Amino acid sequence: MTKIILKFKDKVLKEIPVEKELITIGRKPDNDIEIDNLAVSGHHARIFKMEDWFLIEDLSSLNGTFVNGKMIRESPLKNGDEILIGKHILKFISTDVATSAEPEAVLKKGEASETMVIDSKVQQEMLAQISKDRSLTSSGEVMGRFTVLEGGTDQKEYDLTERMTSIGKEHSAKIRLKGFFAPKFAAFVNRNKEGYFISAASGKELRVNGEVVSGKHRLQDGDIIQVGGIKMHFYLKQ
Amino acid sequence: MEEKGKVLRLVTCGKTDKGLVRKENEDHFCIEKDLGLLAVADGMGGHASGEVASKMAIDNLREYFKEKKELPIDAHDPRYSEITNRISSGVKVANQAIYEASRSRSHWNGMGTTLSAVLVSENRLSIAHVGDSRIYLIRGGVIEQITDDHTIVFEQVARGLMTREEAARSEMRNILSRALGIAPEVDVDIEELTVSKGDKLVICSDGLSELVSDNEMLSEVQSSKSPEKVCDELVNLANQRGGEDNITVIVAFLHGESLVFRLLKVLGWRRR
Repeated sequence: MTKIILKFKDKVLKEIPVEKELITIGRKPDNDIEIDNLAVSGHHARIFKMEDWFLIEDLSSLNGTFVNGKMIRESPLKNGDEILIGKHILKFISTDVATSAEPEAVLKKGEASETMVIDSKVQQEMLAQISKDRSLTSSGEVMGRFTVLEGGTDQKEYDLTERMTSIGKEHSAKIRLKGFFAPKFAAFVNRNKEGYFISAASGKELRVNGEVVSGKHRLQDGDIIQVGGIKMHFYLKQ
Repeated sequence: MEEKGKVLRLVTCGKTDKGLVRKENEDHFCIEKDLGLLAVADGMGGHASGEVASKMAIDNLREYFKEKKELPIDAHDPRYSEITNRISSGVKVANQAIYEASRSRSHWNGMGTTLSAVLVSENRLSIAHVGDSRIYLIRGGVIEQITDDHTIVFEQVARGLMTREEAARSEMRNILSRALGIAPEVDVDIEELTVSKGDKLVICSDGLSELVSDNEMLSEVQSSKSPEKVCDELVNLANQRGGEDNITVIVAFLHGESLVFRLLKVLGWRRR
């Protein structure tokens, strides 16, 4: 007897008996196991029988397929193996297949609906895969820089290495404005994993590429910033 | 130059509240004014072990600073100051302690916690952060979150796989991508910032940030000179909106030296 238990956040959603030699898994409805979640590719993976064994194969999915925390392209399945696809877990139960190792739990949980944490190794691998195609400013590989075009500042160029860079006359401002009428704070640049975001200090006008912006503006390579009497060019460097 | 050794006075208050739904409070916080250390931890795990984890996080971090232990040699990151390395090590030590404890008793198995800590030293702010508790800096009438949420959904937002709006609605938003106590090693986010008088800090658990927006926090912080009053208002606001989770908040105002202190310094200088 072979079956797959589909789980989400440790809740069992479904038990699927494996009666065929090929089971497809994906977001689209033509799959044998349909998982309606954006983290799952249309045709994500398949499980097929080869001699006495069942194998799982990742079908070049975007977010990858993991067996017991390891990212796989193709892997034989043992009784108790846990397959992670997107956020769903498929537990492989088979009395036909030889079984040895104790499977390691992939998701560690608190009480239902409480904060949980995903196994860090699984997570790292998952994110490494995701970021392959879409790397942006993750962990300082790309650094933002301002070049001052007009106005009084203490330097001509500033690397935006800190989490938050302030522009103003105050001594905690990295981009230090000069001049009697310069504001204490003119604007702030916040760097997070998404990129660089600039916002004007209260009551200050911030222009990006000539347009007045309010709230947070995500800086793009090549943006021209005007605030607090200075004009700067933003760009990203490797 | 004279700015360098400038001492900032920390006026601060913290408050933790069970909220209206949970049976227990699994959050902990600490304020060590003499050390300049402020930290919030939000625990998780069954059988009330979340409370154990968050308490261990705070206790271990505090002890690490009080005992002034030597830094492990390999733990030093030359990009950051000594003091920032210390706070990062403190968080790592706490992680080890929780991890080991979680393996020692079956009902503690799988317990974990967030830990967001700052250290104010002269005019520098050191930050060490793991999890989805948050640290905000309020400066120039603007509030900026200076930590990233270590949640799966935020990692997806950062990679352009999900919008912020989708993330805020996602039922997966509580799933952490990093926490203390889950593995023998933990990757700690560290940051350093220069701070000056007039800066304000808010450190909170997600029980607050899930129910009260950044801009609401900003207006509460600006509405009063008393951190205590701000804490009360913020906790009340979260409870008015359902108080679904434990709510913890620390509010800190950075003031310049007092007039008396400055006068003493000037007099001391004259005498020399």
